Amino acid sequence: MPQPDPDEYVVRFSSWSRFQHAAVIVLFGLLLVTGMPQGWPTSDASRWVVDHLGGIFATRWLHRAAGILFTGLVVAHLTVAITGVLSGRMKPSMLLGRQDFRDAINNLRYYAGYTEAAPKFGRYDYRQKFEYWGLIFGSLIMVATGYILYFPIIISRFLPAELIPAAKAMHSYEALFAFLIVLVWHIAGAHLAPESFPIDTSIFTGKIRKEKLRHEHALEYEDLFEKK
Amino acid sequence: MTRRLDHLAHRHTWATALLVILFAAAVIARQTGTTPPTPSPAATPVTAAPAQVPDAVAACLACHEDSTMSMTFEDGESLSLHVDLKHFAGSVHSAQLICTDCHSKYDQDHPSGATFPSRRAYTVSSYELCKKCHFDTYTRTLESVHYELLKAGVDTAPICTDCHGAHNIQNPHAKRAMMSRSCATCHTEVYAQYADSVHGRVLVDDNNQDVPACADCHTHHQVQQPGTTKFRLNSPETCIRCHGDKPLMSKYGISTTVAQTYLADFHGATASLSRNLSEDQQQIVVTCNDCHGVHNIASPRLKGHDAMTATVSAACSKCHQDAVKTFPAAWLSHYPPSPRNAPMVWAVESFYKFFIPFAVLGLIMNLLLHVYRMSSGR
Repeated sequence: MPQPDPDEYVVRFSSWSRFQHAAVIVLFGLLLVTGMPQGWPTSDASRWVVDHLGGIFATRWLHRAAGILFTGLVVAHLTVAITGVLSGRMKPSMLLGRQDFRDAINNLRYYAGYTEAAPKFGRYDYRQKFEYWGLIFGSLIMVATGYILYFPIIISRFLPAELIPAAKAMHSYEALFAFLIVLVWHIAGAHLAPESFPIDTSIFTGKIRKEKLRHEHALEYEDLFEKK
Repeated sequence: MTRRLDHLAHRHTWATALLVILFAAAVIARQTGTTPPTPSPAATPVTAAPAQVPDAVAACLACHEDSTMSMTFEDGESLSLHVDLKHFAGSVHSAQLICTDCHSKYDQDHPSGATFPSRRAYTVSSYELCKKCHFDTYTRTLESVHYELLKAGVDTAPICTDCHGAHNIQNPHAKRAMMSRSCATCHTEVYAQYADSVHGRVLVDDNNQDVPACADCHTHHQVQQPGTTKFRLNSPETCIRCHGDKPLMSKYGISTTVAQTYLADFHGATASLSRNLSEDQQQIVVTCNDCHGVHNIASPRLKGHDAMTATVSAACSKCHQDAVKTFPAAWLSHYPPSPRNAPMVWAVESFYKFFIPFAVLGLIMNLLLHVYRMSSGR
C-alpha cells in the first residue's frame, strides 16, 4: 500500500453537510438552553437562565422558534437525502446493514483483546451510523412531541388527551437522552478520542487528511484510491 | 418551591430545638429538685374561672352590675353599661387585669360627662387601649387592609374588639371556630361559602382543629387584600403548609404529592419560573385556587368522578376557551403516573428510566475500552 502524503487532503463533506452540522449545533444548543430550565423548573440555575433570557414567556417563544427552524432542517435533510438516494445522485452510505452489527461485535472483540486488528470501516463506521439514525429518530420524536405540546387543544380534538402528558414525558426524556449522547458520545468520540484529539475538524472544513481516512475509513480509502 | 422546603426544614429545626429545650428543662428540673414552671394562665382552660374577683373589680361592679345602667350618645343611640361578672371572670384577662387597666380615663367621680357623637365613635376611640400590652400585634394591624379602610374614614372597619370582644375575650388560638365566625359579621357571604366547604364544615360542626380557619390563610392582624395577583400566586405556598404535611394528610388519606405533581406540570413550571416577572405578566399563572376554588373548596373524592370532571373541565376552559370536553384527560389529577392512572405516561417514563442509563453507561464503557485499546498500543 503506498503511503499517502501526510499533508494531502481529500474532500469528505459537502457544504450542505457542513451547513447542516453547524445549524444543528446552533439550534440544538438553543433548544437545550431554552428547554432544560423548563425540565427542571424549581432549580435556581433554571431561574437564572430563564431570567437572563427575558422571562419564561420569552424563553418559551425562543424554544418554539428554534423548534420550528429545527423542523425545517429535518424536513430539508430528509427531502435531500431521500430524493438524492432515489435519483442515484447520492450513495445510501448511512444505511445500516448486517455488516454494521458484525463490525460492532468484532470491534468489541478487538477491544477485549480477542482479535489483533479492528474491523475496517467504510465511509461511515457503525458508531457514526448508529448516532446518525439515533439523531434522525430522536429528531422525529422531538418534532412530533414538540408539536403536541405546542398545540395541545387541537390534538385533544382528534386524539386521546393523555397523549399530551405522555408527549411531555417523552419530550423531556428524549431531550435528556440526546443531551447525554452528545455529551458522552459525540464530543468524547469526535474530540477526546486519541485519534481525533483535540478536535476532528473535517465536519467544519469539509476536508480530511488522506492518512486519517486510510486509518479510520479503510474501505472507503480503498474504494477511492486503490480500486481505480 | 425551595422556599416551601425551607419552610418545612425550618419547622423541623424548630421542632428539634424545642425538643432539646424541653429535654434540657426536664434534666435541670430533676437535678435542682424544683418543679417546672406552671403553665401560663392563657393555657389554662377558661372555664376554670376564679370564683372571686379582685376588690378593684368588685368596686366597679358594685354599680355596673346594674343591668339597667346605660349611657346615651349624641346621635341618640344608647349603650348598656352593665358588665356581666360571669363574662369577665371567664375571659383570659380576668386573672391579670382590673377594670381601670383598660378604662383608665375614669376616676371616682365619673360619669365625667365625656360625650361621643355615636356608639361607634366611642368604640373606635377606645380600641387603642389594647396596644398598651399588645403593642406588636397593634403595629401589625397598621399594615392590614382593615386599617387602610379605617384610615380612609370607614368607621365600620374592624378594630380589636370587633373580632376579640371586650369583657369576655377568649384565647383566639383555642377558639378558632369562634374567631372565624367574627369574620362573618362583615364577610357574611364568604363565610357561608367557607362554612359549607370541606374545610369549614368540620371546623364549624366538629370543631376539628386540623382544618384552616379564616386567619390561617389570610393571616391574623396584617390581613392583606386577597384579590391581588400576589395573594393568588402565593396560594401554593399557603396550601402546601398543610397539604405537604405527611402526618397530617395521612390522617385523611390525602396525597402529599400535590406540590410535586403541580410543579412537574406545565402550570407549576410556569409558576416556578415566572417568580421574577412583573405581577401583570404573572396574571397568566395558574395556582391552586384557580381550579379548586377558594372558600367553597370541596373534596374531589366526595364530589365523585363525573362532577369532578365537569369541575376540571370548567376550570380548564376559563383560560383555554376552545378546550373540548376530553381535554381535562391531559391533566393527571395530582397523581404520579402509574399503570392504572395514565398508563401511557407511565410506559414512556419506565422505558426511558431503563433505556437512558443502559445506553449511556454502555457508551461510556465502549469509549473507555476504545481509549484503553488505543493507548495500550494494541
